[in-house]
Amino acid sequence: MNNVGMEVATEKVLRILCLEDNEGDYILLREYLNDANFEPPPELVRVATLGAAKQLLSKGGGEASFDMVLLDLSLPDSQGEATLACLTELLPRTPITILSGNADRDLAVRMVKEGAQDYLPKDSLNSELLTRSILYAVERQRSRTKMAKLNERLRKATDDLKTAQMQLIQAEKMDSLGRLAAGVAHEVKNPLATIQLGVNYFDRRTDELGESGVMMVRHMQDAISRADRIISGMVDYSRSDTLNLKESDINDVIESALQLVQHEVVRNNIKVVAELGDSLPLVKVDQGKMEQVLINLMVNAVQAMADCADRDPGESGEECEMHVRTYHGEVQQIERDEGIRHFERIRAHDSVVVIEIRDHGAGIPDEKSTRIFEPFYTTKPTGEGTGLGLSIAKNIIDLHRGYIQINNVENGAGVRARILLKCTDAA
Amino acid sequence: MKKKRVLVVDDDVPLAESLKINLEDTGNFEVAVECQSKNAMQVAREFGPDVILLDVVMPGLDGGDVCDQLAGEPELRDIPVILVTALVSNNEVGIDDGINSGGRIMMAKPIRFKKLLHAIESVLKTRMALI
Repeated sequence: MNNVGMEVATEKVLRILCLEDNEGDYILLREYLNDANFEPPPELVRVATLGAAKQLLSKGGGEASFDMVLLDLSLPDSQGEATLACLTELLPRTPITILSGNADRDLAVRMVKEGAQDYLPKDSLNSELLTRSILYAVERQRSRTKMAKLNERLRKATDDLKTAQMQLIQAEKMDSLGRLAAGVAHEVKNPLATIQLGVNYFDRRTDELGESGVMMVRHMQDAISRADRIISGMVDYSRSDTLNLKESDINDVIESALQLVQHEVVRNNIKVVAELGDSLPLVKVDQGKMEQVLINLMVNAVQAMADCADRDPGESGEECEMHVRTYHGEVQQIERDEGIRHFERIRAHDSVVVIEIRDHGAGIPDEKSTRIFEPFYTTKPTGEGTGLGLSIAKNIIDLHRGYIQINNVENGAGVRARILLKCTDAA
Repeated sequence: MKKKRVLVVDDDVPLAESLKINLEDTGNFEVAVECQSKNAMQVAREFGPDVILLDVVMPGLDGGDVCDQLAGEPELRDIPVILVTALVSNNEVGIDDGINSGGRIMMAKPIRFKKLLHAIESVLKTRMALI
């Protein structure tokens, strides 16, 4: 193929950075380029030293401003491999073509192996060779950019696929766990009921049992209660798949949950600070189940501030307050989660009612924050938590097509639980 | 005072026996136990219970079927039934004694005996008031 005399069309004006200290060689290059008949004609920017190139790149548009580099390996301030290495660092994505003299041809070949696009022997350079090298370099670069974009899309698609797969696994895990929980719970409740009646029987004979016997009966009763809490949690967990939805003012549900935790609140010397929004839009909720979620979060909040129980009520301050807040808002952004996703799940710009429950306790340790919704995961002392409370809460909120998030408070102490529920008119 | 008669229908033998022992231990009850639900009607006719403690999940006839059969017999249909089941959780039953299921009390296993006594007394009282 001979380009001389023919027009070589390019999409835009090619900008070529030329590092060449020899004036004569540079003039020759320009002539070859003119002969090549590029349309539009390329812009050849020449610098004579590596230092000048660095300066130019630092003030100009940097890498994006050049389509390729023609590099003479022997510059006054840099030689051979060092020149290429430095330039590759400055322009990692721009193709570099080496201009080599007779003496350093071997070096030029090595340079190609080390990342240069091509080498052109100066002694046999002509317009055709130069044109071909420029076109190849630019075209290769375009392919590489295109491939990088495709790779990026592929990576994103793989990520999305992985997330979807995780969600599916999670959904299946939850489903089989639910069925297993219901089955186990049913089978265990009968023997437990027998043990319970046995304990009750002996409990009526404390006179005959002696001190150790009475103690034993008490421990057995505690053990039964503990087992029952776990099993009841499992039944609730397996049962949290159907809802009895009713349009409700969420503040009524909050008030009712607050009533039910009143005893815990008072016993632990906690002050409830409620800021319930006026005339909130209605939301469709299963009142009983939503109450269950709120009670769970409230009891967690109270337990996080257990230290307050020992204080004089007059002396405790903000550190013994549980804040309960409701308001109406628009979703700005929703974090991705790996829970069960629904088509009607909350999205950005949805109109939502927000419930916030905040404590002033020690917060969730970082390493535990990702596991709080896992069934049977608990940070409470053995026997005090079933590890099902928050997973049931999440299940119930998922069923409501809502969103629950539990985080440490930024710039402060404690944990904030936030529930978002779609407003009825927007649902 | 004449002892009240309680019929326990539950396929779990140790549980049914334990209910009997505890109830009789109070000195206020005479208890019959039937572990096969298909015999429940027959035993009910012969024993004449004042109250029936009925398991829900049983092989063959379940608690619901037995309730239907009881309702079909004029002599037996007014006997109060307390459903005792492993199907509901104590959280669902709540802190009260039981949930009302179609006019019947439903209690979650494991039942605290005091709660059960309270429930039996309450249904018996209601029945006395109606007679």
